[in-house]
Amino acid sequence: MMKIETTLSTLAEDINAFYDARQWHFLTVNGIDLGEGKIELQWIFSRYGAKDDIVIYNTQSDYETPVPSIVSLIPSAFMSEREIVDMFGLKIEGTERGLYLDKDSLEHPLRGES
Amino acid sequence: MLKALLEAFKNLFKPIRTIDYPARDMTLPQGYRGLIEYDKEACIFCDKCEKVCPPGAIVFYQHPEGEKEYRYNPWVCIYCGECVRACPKPDEALWHSETKQSAAFKEDGVNTEWFEWEAACKASREAYKAAKASAKIQKKSEE
Amino acid sequence: MKKTVHIPLGSQHISLLEPIRFKFECENEKIVGVDADVGFVHRGVELACTRNFEFKQVGYVVARVCGLCAITHSLSYTLAAEKLLGYEANDRIKYLRMLMVELDRIHSHMLCLAHTAENAGFEALFMQIMGDRELIMDVQEAISGNRVQFDFIAIGGVNRDLTPELADLIRHNLTALSEKIDALMVLFEGNWSLSLKYKGVGVLSLEEAYIYNALGPLARATGLATDVRAETNDFPYEAIGYKMILESGGDIHARNFVRLREIVNSIDMCRNIADNLPAGEIQEKTKGKPKGEALVRVEAPRGELFYLVRGNGGNMLERVRIKTPTFSGIPAMMEVFKGSEYADAPAILASFDPCMSCTAK
Repeated sequence: MMKIETTLSTLAEDINAFYDARQWHFLTVNGIDLGEGKIELQWIFSRYGAKDDIVIYNTQSDYETPVPSIVSLIPSAFMSEREIVDMFGLKIEGTERGLYLDKDSLEHPLRGES
Repeated sequence: MLKALLEAFKNLFKPIRTIDYPARDMTLPQGYRGLIEYDKEACIFCDKCEKVCPPGAIVFYQHPEGEKEYRYNPWVCIYCGECVRACPKPDEALWHSETKQSAAFKEDGVNTEWFEWEAACKASREAYKAAKASAKIQKKSEE
Repeated sequence: MKKTVHIPLGSQHISLLEPIRFKFECENEKIVGVDADVGFVHRGVELACTRNFEFKQVGYVVARVCGLCAITHSLSYTLAAEKLLGYEANDRIKYLRMLMVELDRIHSHMLCLAHTAENAGFEALFMQIMGDRELIMDVQEAISGNRVQFDFIAIGGVNRDLTPELADLIRHNLTALSEKIDALMVLFEGNWSLSLKYKGVGVLSLEEAYIYNALGPLARATGLATDVRAETNDFPYEAIGYKMILESGGDIHARNFVRLREIVNSIDMCRNIADNLPAGEIQEKTKGKPKGEALVRVEAPRGELFYLVRGNGGNMLERVRIKTPTFSGIPAMMEVFKGSEYADAPAILASFDPCMSCTAK
């Protein structure tokens, strides 16, 4: 398992240089709340045909900065992005709230109590 | 195609596969996960079963004189058996029987009485702790 | 002037088993655009695992995310927690866990085949397959005490053991089942009315499977060789005779055959386990609290299931992230609908085997 640190501004170029549709399988986008308004974001990939070969792109951010979307490169990422917009209240371009939550549900349930 | 037609014709004369429960009783297998049963004499009131239960189906009430009362809700229980595994005396005080639980009726009070009992137990615990703390302070001030 | 019509395959439909809503944009019965709405059954399981339950009880909570793949959820969480506690199970525990996972795979695939046959109009075959599935449900009830939610796996081992009478019951029922599966394979291949509904309908090509990250039997029916049982070191699958099943063609007929051949392979694996189970303890005590981060992937009947668990040394966990197979398969499913007729949509949807309670946790 390999963890690579990246930043929000260089994310699109890093994944563009790394991703090859025939070799890597995109798993999901994950967010972990670290308290005090900070969030850790992870993009997880695994290799086809190899044993336990997982690559994670890791970065830390806060809730105000907009997160770049990788849908133009990996078309199936829109489901995971809609989920973290619902659960954490992040801002991603071209994605809006409404996958799991209704108009009168709680706002961003997985954000820690602040 | 002909084979499927022949199979469909034979099915007219085969016996019915479903069991008409509750007119006819069904046979439960050996080791079926049934109700949890309790014996008050052997219990040492260590509270391990209450802490380990995932949905909170066993709740103890703390009487002010010092003894505890056990109550179990068979309609919240998931019959996992964790309480039996955590008990220090698993076959004498608490064990897993093979009786099937029945459906709940309105007079069992599953939705109202059980939640009142849970709130009363929590309040009784806090009252007991507060009474003990104040008794300790009083004893210290006497010395 | 071209005009498109919006037709819903709504959340209430006579052929639908799961609560999902599609909005199709159709030109004269041919589908050109798809919009999907999942999330009717969202219950907030990820939040409950970190607020209301301690780490020893989370295995029972997480098993109730789905009914058909309950044991794979509970197994993945338990493996992740054992990795954080630094504990490795002995051989007998590993083989017993694999036995229950393979039995679960057999009954889930039979349910999907029955539902696909029903949507093609052959309701008698649906009843027959469900009746034959009772052979496996009897075995599961005898081993674990319940037909659907097993509660069989705990941190440190399994809860019940396998006696010689149970091993005899397993062998007897599996022999009876394998004759019926052989008869089913002849029927699905040769019956004329079923082949009109299945061959050449709902095609996903290999290129599209790579682009949209398809997984599970949906990907293996197009020729993409991906299966977590061959890509992980946690379980000794090669030792009991696992083979990867691939077909080419990508239509509904190929998916049915991937599932049928996987059932045959699973029957062989279960028989191997029942004959050669190593000796040992079934439950061992573990000490400590979970600290750090662990990732686990397990092959559920519908694809790849992924768990990420993070703890900080206390009784409550910090983050439990669940990624279910149907959730990742929705983009590929939406792609298959484009270009087919509207009347084929229920049969195509049943052949995907969607599980909505997994998707909207």
